[in-house]
Amino acid sequence: MANSTVRATFDVYRYDPAHDAAPRYQRYELDLAPHTPVLTALLRIRAEIDPTLTLRYSCRSAICGSCAMQVNSKSRLACETQIGPELARDGRIVIEPMRNQKVLRDLVVEQEPFWRNYDKIRPHLILDPTKPMPEGRENPMTPEQVERFRETPRCIACAACYSACPAVEADPGFPGPMALAKLYRFVVDPRDQAHQDRLVRIQTDGLWLCLRCHLCTEACPKDVRPSERIRDLKEMAIAAQGGTEPGSRHAIGFKENIRERGLLSEMKLVRQTSGIGGLLGEAGQGLRMVRKKPEILKRPHRIEHLEEVEKIYESLDHREAPP
Amino acid sequence: MQQHEVVVVGAGLAGQRAALAAIEAGREVAIVSKLHPLRSHSGAAQGGINAALGKEDSVDTHIYDTVKGSDYLGDQDAIELFCREAGPTVVEMEHFGTIFSRGPDGSLARRAFGGAGFPRTIYAADRTGLALLQALWEHLGTSRFTLYEEWELTHLVVREGRVHGIVAYDRKTGTFDQIAAKAVVLATGPFGRVYGRTTNAHSCTGDGVAVAYGAGAALKDLEFVQFHPTALMESAILITEGARGEGGILKNGNGERFMGKYAPHVFDLASRDVVSRAIVTEVREGRGFPGGYVHLELMHLGREKVESRLQEICDYARVYAGVDPVVEPIPVYPAQHYMMGGIGTDAHGATNVRGLFAAGEAACVSIHGANRLGGNSLLETLVFGKQAGTAAAAYAASAAPPELHAAELDGFTAPFRAWSSRTDGEDPSRLRTEMQEVMDRYVGIYRNEADLLEGVRRIRGLRARFENVRVVDRSRVYNMNLADAIEVGHMLTLAEVIVVGAYARTESRGAHARTDYPKRDDAQWMKHTMATRGPNGPQLSYAAVAYTRWEPKERVY
Repeated sequence: MANSTVRATFDVYRYDPAHDAAPRYQRYELDLAPHTPVLTALLRIRAEIDPTLTLRYSCRSAICGSCAMQVNSKSRLACETQIGPELARDGRIVIEPMRNQKVLRDLVVEQEPFWRNYDKIRPHLILDPTKPMPEGRENPMTPEQVERFRETPRCIACAACYSACPAVEADPGFPGPMALAKLYRFVVDPRDQAHQDRLVRIQTDGLWLCLRCHLCTEACPKDVRPSERIRDLKEMAIAAQGGTEPGSRHAIGFKENIRERGLLSEMKLVRQTSGIGGLLGEAGQGLRMVRKKPEILKRPHRIEHLEEVEKIYESLDHREAPP
Repeated sequence: MQQHEVVVVGAGLAGQRAALAAIEAGREVAIVSKLHPLRSHSGAAQGGINAALGKEDSVDTHIYDTVKGSDYLGDQDAIELFCREAGPTVVEMEHFGTIFSRGPDGSLARRAFGGAGFPRTIYAADRTGLALLQALWEHLGTSRFTLYEEWELTHLVVREGRVHGIVAYDRKTGTFDQIAAKAVVLATGPFGRVYGRTTNAHSCTGDGVAVAYGAGAALKDLEFVQFHPTALMESAILITEGARGEGGILKNGNGERFMGKYAPHVFDLASRDVVSRAIVTEVREGRGFPGGYVHLELMHLGREKVESRLQEICDYARVYAGVDPVVEPIPVYPAQHYMMGGIGTDAHGATNVRGLFAAGEAACVSIHGANRLGGNSLLETLVFGKQAGTAAAAYAASAAPPELHAAELDGFTAPFRAWSSRTDGEDPSRLRTEMQEVMDRYVGIYRNEADLLEGVRRIRGLRARFENVRVVDRSRVYNMNLADAIEVGHMLTLAEVIVVGAYARTESRGAHARTDYPKRDDAQWMKHTMATRGPNGPQLSYAAVAYTRWEPKERVY
């Protein structure tokens, strides 16, 4: 246990909408051991310097999900982020509330929309009344079936992913990474009887709004990997229903397109994604693009050694199917 | 003013299960919780939930182990009910959607736990509490109820021995309100934060227990405080008993596996009180590591087992102690972990106040007696949460409407306004820190008369200073400074009951170890401590332990 301490500078976002015209940053300085968690530092500020500093916290061991916030612009749990590496990288520690959620005060944000998205994916077993649960005993579930949940049971609903997600910021219709990872957890649950219905519904309920940026996976403190589970949901949705949505048609078209010539035909992809009608709808945008980049009208040539691309496709097709 | 038939305070496993039972009984229900339900401390439970589902195991063995573990202070009738309900309870939670770990044949996997005759602890890796909490909350979501999210309890309204409702405030707006109820179930969890070195969450401040005591409820056996043997040295973060259940061993500073001296039959899997005292003894007698701790070794179990079955604690050891348990020992020392005592109830959650019920760690039935076995607390939340919810619903079905008066709210909240209007006074954080130092130092694993007297004196000194507590934060929105003050008030109340009860009990039993009275004294002390609020502090009386079949014997592991 290190006894040496470092001088740590914290710039903490402060804002009480009832009293403050605008947010401000308040500086606090403390001497702390480098392995001190950010939460411990903030609680010391509350106890020793400024009891008005406001944040949510409870377990201090990364299991209750209360203390997600931005630490040097990354959405993290304060309780499991040590100050040492932050100071070494940035020289100070900037503490801000999570993004994509209205600030109630200081680091406390309104989470009602986050919870509503979670509720909307129907996060409970949906049963078929003709297939009752086994009387007086558990449903059998093999270790392999448990494995299919991947890391989703570790989710603590801290909303760090929701904070990090640009799709949440761009579109209120996007359920967010946590809700989709939770949906995945029910889709692979052998006890659930509504897999197909869940997959069909989510196609129009925001699944395809995910931008595949993987910031959620980077932010997740429990290694739930929401973006990978969203990818799995997309594959399962296509397998269940085919390309019924622009999002799934785009994915299918993209795949076919590259397989044919080894290059993307953007014109063709728009047609595949949106249909002829959609193509006309995009005409204004299309004409502007053509003016800037006339070559997109040309049919792309077939690349050399297309057989190598085919090999990649074949190996991917033989890859283990998603659960 | 709000009104509901049944109000459940606390939304961990016990509160949620009580709410579900009351809803299923046809009552209109509200849940009041200072945390979002999924943030409840139930979610921090790691190791598992006991049920004698193995072919070689039996309900009777589970009962016997629990009775013995309690050091014969548990009520045997309640323990019988508890163990009989274990199997159906676990199966029900599986049907609600809990993702348990499984054996190769697809059945529920079981691991060994301390003080248990057979491997009977069903688990979900090392996050069993989280798995149960998620499944129950998600199942409860299919029912109708009102949720007062982030509302904190401040008062219980009791007149002529009957509950009429509660007073609480909305943290988000700072608004106080009265919530009338025919029946109230308190499931607010423990008060481990009276100690500094505790595995408990910061929110474990005993709000419901203190408020019930203030309103006339009797508190039972508060002097019995469980110290978990293996908490991380610096942060006191819990390392599950499941780590030893999976084969982990304790070693002292000389590299010796010392538990054989204290528990010749089961070594590291003795009951928690036994293992915690062993670790303290090793360190006090100079066989600890410098700085005063021992090692928990998992290296011999192999990476695959450690990283799959003990996934969360791998993270804890790596993040909070800077050690990788796959290749290094984990420095551990005991920390306060569980309160055997709580609001005294019968086996159906009823208290001495009509219409008031309690369940979970806030309650004391008592099934844990003087020492709780690992794996029995998750089970308790569900079994007795259901009992309390069912009993509260039955009471509410025939009770007269509650009577609350809007004009009385002002009287309840007047002290809080006084705290905020002071220009000088005591800082709640300072009082909390001093209280924790007193409890750590004088009311720990080993106790004696001089320490306990000093503890009483100091806690009373802090209580006197609390009368002048000051809240400096003037905002109504999420005023955590006000919450600090309210909570430290609750905890000082409970700390006094713990110390007074421990001072009075001149024997050693389970987790209550008096160096000046080292023997269990069944003739004098096989009885429950009952504490009610008197004009000059707790008034103690004693209640008989319920017996069915198990005669007290010496407890050897």
